[in-house]
Amino acid sequence: MKITRRDFLKTTALTSLYFAGFGGQTYADQVKKKNLVIIMLRGGMDGLCAIPVKGDKNFEKLRSKINLDRTLKLTSDFDLHPALKTFKNLWDQNQSSAVHATNIPYTGRSHFDGQNLMESGGKIPYQEKTGWLGRGMKIAGLTGNGLALALPMPLLIRGVPMNNNYFPVGHKLPYPSTLKMIQEAYKEYDEKLLSENLEIIQTRELSNTSSDHSWVLASNAANELSKPNGPKVAVFEVDGFDTHAAQGATDGAHADCLRDYDNIIKSLKSSMSKEAFDNTLVLTLTEFGRTIKQNSSNGTEHGYGSAILIAGGLVKKAQVHTDWPGLKRKELFEGRDLNSTIDSRAIYASAMSTVFDVDFKKITKEVFWGENLPNLSDKLFKV
Amino acid sequence: MKNFFRKVAFGISSNEEVPSDPLNWALDQVNDVPELSWKGKIYSEKELRKHYRDWVYGDRKVLRKKYKDNKTLYKTHKDILRHKTGQKFWESLEISIRHNEGINSSRPVLAKLWMFWGNFFAISEKDFLANYSTGPYQREIIRPNLNQSFEKMVYEVTTSWAMIHHLDNSESAGPKSVTAREEWRRRKKEPATINENHARELLELHTVSPKAGYTQEDVIQLAYIMTGWQHKWSKKNLETGNVWFNSEYHQPGMKNVLGKEYKRGKKTLATIIKDLVNHPNCRDFVAERLCRFLITDEPTKEMKQPIIDAFVKSDGFLPQIHKAAIKVAFDYNDKFKKFQTPENWFIQVAKLGDLEWPPSPQTMDSYELGTKPTRKQRSPERLLRNIGQHPFRAKQPNGWSDHSDDWISPELLIRRLVYAKLSHSFSKMQNNNEDYYQNIVEKNFDNPDKIMKYLKQKSRIVEKQTLLFNHPEFLRS
Repeated sequence: MKITRRDFLKTTALTSLYFAGFGGQTYADQVKKKNLVIIMLRGGMDGLCAIPVKGDKNFEKLRSKINLDRTLKLTSDFDLHPALKTFKNLWDQNQSSAVHATNIPYTGRSHFDGQNLMESGGKIPYQEKTGWLGRGMKIAGLTGNGLALALPMPLLIRGVPMNNNYFPVGHKLPYPSTLKMIQEAYKEYDEKLLSENLEIIQTRELSNTSSDHSWVLASNAANELSKPNGPKVAVFEVDGFDTHAAQGATDGAHADCLRDYDNIIKSLKSSMSKEAFDNTLVLTLTEFGRTIKQNSSNGTEHGYGSAILIAGGLVKKAQVHTDWPGLKRKELFEGRDLNSTIDSRAIYASAMSTVFDVDFKKITKEVFWGENLPNLSDKLFKV
Repeated sequence: MKNFFRKVAFGISSNEEVPSDPLNWALDQVNDVPELSWKGKIYSEKELRKHYRDWVYGDRKVLRKKYKDNKTLYKTHKDILRHKTGQKFWESLEISIRHNEGINSSRPVLAKLWMFWGNFFAISEKDFLANYSTGPYQREIIRPNLNQSFEKMVYEVTTSWAMIHHLDNSESAGPKSVTAREEWRRRKKEPATINENHARELLELHTVSPKAGYTQEDVIQLAYIMTGWQHKWSKKNLETGNVWFNSEYHQPGMKNVLGKEYKRGKKTLATIIKDLVNHPNCRDFVAERLCRFLITDEPTKEMKQPIIDAFVKSDGFLPQIHKAAIKVAFDYNDKFKKFQTPENWFIQVAKLGDLEWPPSPQTMDSYELGTKPTRKQRSPERLLRNIGQHPFRAKQPNGWSDHSDDWISPELLIRRLVYAKLSHSFSKMQNNNEDYYQNIVEKNFDNPDKIMKYLKQKSRIVEKQTLLFNHPEFLRS
């Protein structure tokens, strides 16, 4: 039997309310709880900086000033940026993989439109008012199961009610006795939604005075994701990938951003229970990649194809999945960018299908308007 | 009944009299647009755009090249340039001017409507618009049009530098225009194509709304009409030049939007805007948005009708539209209480609490260009970000939501609890007593005894403030 959040609130003691959402205890016992974490990399992540291709003389020449002088080894064809240490550790345990030369079907090179589309999953900027993740959660019945480590609620996770968000305000809440009086007033005035949210605030184990560094947020999220009745979806944001200048090589501005990402997965891995991490997928999402060629400021411009970094116990195998388009001039998109040969929405649809246990066709139909996307679930993930 | 003062404005402050005729008190405020009541220095949009220019030029053309091998030096010099161009200061000044209209002017109703239209024609967070241009856009384009026609408002918004930049119309070039045949486009592989953003939002958000049933082809055709409206690009000013009509980018030939033919040329934009604002769906949309802002998430046909009638009768004259909306809000005042968005809520907190808010004109005028603004000088921008609604930093061109549910989440509620408490640090010594609260509660609530009894549960003023500003009757109006 499914119990809706509202019903659940009426009948249960306060202590177990937090994130009760879907099912409750009995459900958690029957099926292993699986988690999906999306890390949004805003500004345009350079897939070729994170995962450079090996032995391509032309590539090395075009990036003479920003080539990596030191890399970590991934495969015979690809290396890894040295800032991605945790990713490499996970790789060695078959707990991370990547998809290369992929992107959302957007070629306009505007951050503004691109970030809107990467979150909405649509093709026309601003047309959709909900996010692909929110819609996916809705058809999976995951009401009250989302946690955004952000303020306000990102578009990505909109479309399903009762999501939680956490971004520490840096101040203490009023005294519990004051909150109790406010709660009484909410109840007297029949303010159900306010009342439910105040319950969550009072019972959740997330500190309001904690730091808002992404790795601290990740450690908090990890604790929540590990709880049997905790959230099943978490969303992070990392800014600063728009490196038009001084992108640098092993220690430049792009490296700093990749390190922020790596710290999130490091924190998730170390703070989650083994069982929870084993049943988790962590995927990156960005609006576009960057140009092959460095510009005169030793940075890169807005491009097209990028990469998706995948981590977590539900990764099938350490592998770079790609239909490599090549980097010769005529192989590039508009003569300048890594092409995208895999619609990244296929990967996100496959991840949702795997984690939410929803039929892939249902996801493409109801989340992506019946787009013809290939099901990559059994290639990429433990199904 | 007294919630009406917070519904159409921001409540009655401790030193104001409660108007004996609330409806006329409100109606009388919207006939004209007086000077802003801010006593400190106000900078023109053009002046601030020069700072925007110095920032983009300095970063893109100078610093990126000079420090291309050193991210630390690049960062340091970028920070110096930020302060040289006031990047961290202007938006706080603009918010101070804006909040002062709501709190200290004689026209709080007009101020609330100004905020409504600023969000209706929102400039969302893009590039550095919020830092330099969105505030002055709202002052110089939106506000002076509050006693003009809706048509004039739409035209001036559409051709403003901020909106052209926000919605990329400068990137839009007619595929059959003069520039399409230029040699460099072939060489650089940059064919002339349209950018539909601005055309789509002109239809969807600024005039007829999707209910008008326009097609993708209508959007494309309107984008053709709008080709050529762009900033005047130059090596010196980059994208910060004035808006002009560049006929070399204009798509020639006839266009057809919503079944009507339009000819080529600069004047056609005004022609089609006239047609769009006179479309039945446009007035319905304006009425819907006004009702949703003031009254309820789900406006009814009966609520909208008087506003639609006023729109038709006055040929879209905004003071008449505003008066009709105020009357409807008055009629439905007891039946519907609208959950207030964070910014609206905070302005009411500041007004009723008689807080030291916004920072004084003296504080803001003591800012020196080139220096880092003080904590106090930056407090408006920080506070609004922290409560979750910064008016110049909406995430999408449709502005901030006016649906209540979008404003209720755990973190947003935490912000109200915490900032109701923190508001105490802005309050004045002389108000830290029970009498002060008796006074404002009587002026702003119909059931002062009940509210006072609620506040009396706590003896410290800071607790009383936390209770009052989170009371359901305060959160809605």
